[in-house]
Amino acid sequence: MWMLSFIPDSWLYLATIAIMVLGVVTYLATYLFQFYKPALLIQTPVRVAAVVITIAGVYFFGSYNTEVEWRKRVEEVQAKVAAAEAAGKAANDKLAKAGKQKVKVIHQRQVVIHERIKTITTKIDAECKVDPDAVHILNSAAKYPLAPKKDNK
Amino acid sequence: MRYGQIFLIATVLMLSGCASKPVPVVMSFPDVPEDLKVACPDLGVLPVDTDKLSDVIGNVADNYTKYHECRARVDNWNDWYNTQKQIFDRVK
Repeated sequence: MWMLSFIPDSWLYLATIAIMVLGVVTYLATYLFQFYKPALLIQTPVRVAAVVITIAGVYFFGSYNTEVEWRKRVEEVQAKVAAAEAAGKAANDKLAKAGKQKVKVIHQRQVVIHERIKTITTKIDAECKVDPDAVHILNSAAKYPLAPKKDNK
Repeated sequence: MRYGQIFLIATVLMLSGCASKPVPVVMSFPDVPEDLKVACPDLGVLPVDTDKLSDVIGNVADNYTKYHECRARVDNWNDWYNTQKQIFDRVK
């Protein structure tokens, strides 16, 4: 069957039509056998052969059209997949760029906050001494409660 | 009756030529970008002998930064998934 792929589509199409026409014409031709008496002996077998040829022709015609439709569908889906992959890559690039921008803004903000803390360090450290219990509580709150036990000491 | 059976068989034979097969092109869902797979960091803790409020505030501010980074990553993950799903669903 794979050898059929080497034959041009238009030739295959014409071949299927030719087989159907051959079957129908052969069947109609059997009516002319009555004008030639010896031919009547083979009228029935020829008619059966004509019907078989017609059925085969219709079968090939349907197969050909289904194959063509299938190839068209495969091409459509391949084009859609290629477009989707390209769109997905473009979206990834856009999201990566946006992600980097977000991180940049967050870090800039962190720098500003640390600068502000520096400006008031002397003042707040002079006015307030932190109790060790407060540090302990803050550290406990910072630790992830669902961490494995060895990390949760 | 015999002709009816022959007609039925012939019809089935002819129609079997039109049987279609599924399209063998399948699109797989894309992999998550590596930077979105990174887990959120643990929050920073203070040395137990800390008594300066400025150190405490600095630590809290750093932890807030870690949270904001993690939040941005989760937002990016959701954006990535929603965008890719939309693109993926278009192919079906």
